Amino acid sequence: MNTTTLITTFITDQYLPGTSPAELDADYDLLANGIIDSLGLLRLIDWLQGEFTLDIDDKDLTPDAFRSVSAICSFVEGR
Amino acid sequence: MDTSQGIPNFVRAIWRHAERQPTSPAFLHDGEAVSYGQFARLAHAAMTGSQAAGLMAVTEPKSPATIAEVLACLTEGRSVLLPPAGTSAVALAALCERAADPPKETCFVLTTSGSTGTPKLVPLLGRGVDNFISWAARQFGIGPRSVVLNYAPLNFDLCLLDVWATLARGGCAVLVDAGRAVWPGYLSDLLASTKPTIVQGVPLLYQVLAKRDLSFGSTGHVILTGDHAPAVLRARLSALFPAARCYNIYGCTETNDSFMHEFNPTQADHAQALPIGQPLPGVRTRIGDDGELSVCTPFQAPGYIGDDPTGRFDGAWFRTGDLVRREPSGLVYLTGRNDFQVKVRGTRVNLEQVEQALTSVDAVLEAAAVTHDGRIHLTVHSLPEAGLTPLTVRSLCAERLSLAMIPSSIAVVSTPLPRTVTGKIDRKQILRDIERKAA
Repeated sequence: MNTTTLITTFITDQYLPGTSPAELDADYDLLANGIIDSLGLLRLIDWLQGEFTLDIDDKDLTPDAFRSVSAICSFVEGR
Repeated sequence: MDTSQGIPNFVRAIWRHAERQPTSPAFLHDGEAVSYGQFARLAHAAMTGSQAAGLMAVTEPKSPATIAEVLACLTEGRSVLLPPAGTSAVALAALCERAADPPKETCFVLTTSGSTGTPKLVPLLGRGVDNFISWAARQFGIGPRSVVLNYAPLNFDLCLLDVWATLARGGCAVLVDAGRAVWPGYLSDLLASTKPTIVQGVPLLYQVLAKRDLSFGSTGHVILTGDHAPAVLRARLSALFPAARCYNIYGCTETNDSFMHEFNPTQADHAQALPIGQPLPGVRTRIGDDGELSVCTPFQAPGYIGDDPTGRFDGAWFRTGDLVRREPSGLVYLTGRNDFQVKVRGTRVNLEQVEQALTSVDAVLEAAAVTHDGRIHLTVHSLPEAGLTPLTVRSLCAERLSLAMIPSSIAVVSTPLPRTVTGKIDRKQILRDIERKAA
């Protein structure tokens, strides 16, 4: 699975039960539409750290890095 | 500075601090201190130059500049509408129209979730805010050396204490960035570096801080508010804040704080529920036959702006909708609600408002919102040919509701929702179905 599919699948599984990954547009705003709330964001960051073996310190982050599937992909690929 | 009649005392007090102690910090924000002098310059820059009644909506994220804009409005005699995060442009225009003519001497117009599909508008008068600040400053010793953590967004009444009382007494407010408010690393670092003397927040704040094994010895007062704090969380407070006195405060947007209970966190795990305690000085209370608490406070709004079909304001009294019991000791405990209002992480949400936002959409036949585990679950009944999906329903919600009201989970069904024998939507059955699926 490529990064986009992996992330999309995680988000639909975790936060959008009943929605298939194909339905979720890569630019859909996950924060403004209330899919990922601030606690959900912590769960996402935990998963990203494990899945992509990243070392993420939340002191250096802003929520905008996680606004959409494409933003999350850029964040992961930029690490 | 123009100190014409009608400007609330707290606004004048802030300008006085800017003259007398211009180098003292008014804010710690994003790693920088902003002095009272700098704050006053920001407010001057935001002024229009004319005293004019009317209303201004302030929607920018919390920052010293945003708060300066609010101060500028109040100084020039305007009322400030503070909408909740995630209010769409359409919803904001509707709010501004409804709030266009607030009562005389209104400082702030806040919103609360209502049962009619639109939020209720709560006007807070300068006199009430001044009364509240007098109480809060005396109770918690707020003064020029106070450093007060401001966790809530600006549209929360909690800011009357942690932002406005702090500024009115020449103290320093530490502004927490809303986007990172539940990130343990950010929050722990912020407290460790700014050393607040007073911390106020919903239980969530303390849950996040408890994720790290740190302790904050500078804090003398810890205030829990907005929601029930479980015993296991209360028990952590003495390790987190070894030098602090701890309080549970109860209030609502319409009346501001009305009850307080000081508790000993080392005994927290012995008591199951935390009482809301006893009325604040000057607060009158009565408990109805059904257990509903009514209060009358020196801080309260004169009524909603516009219609109040629910009759919550009854002369000088406000019916809170909260059911309570009073123990022989005089302490009061919350026991439930008499309506569809719930707390979602410290924010009041009326589930009927969530439902009505959806049933106003043509393709939606029925909608039912319930809460499970502190989250909102929405079930929408719609004809298959309408093509609604959970995602499109979600977008509809985001256009019509503030962020805290957007459901966590959404299901779209093509069969009618279960009904009770009296023909009402059977929310208990829907909740049982959700619990069964979650198990």
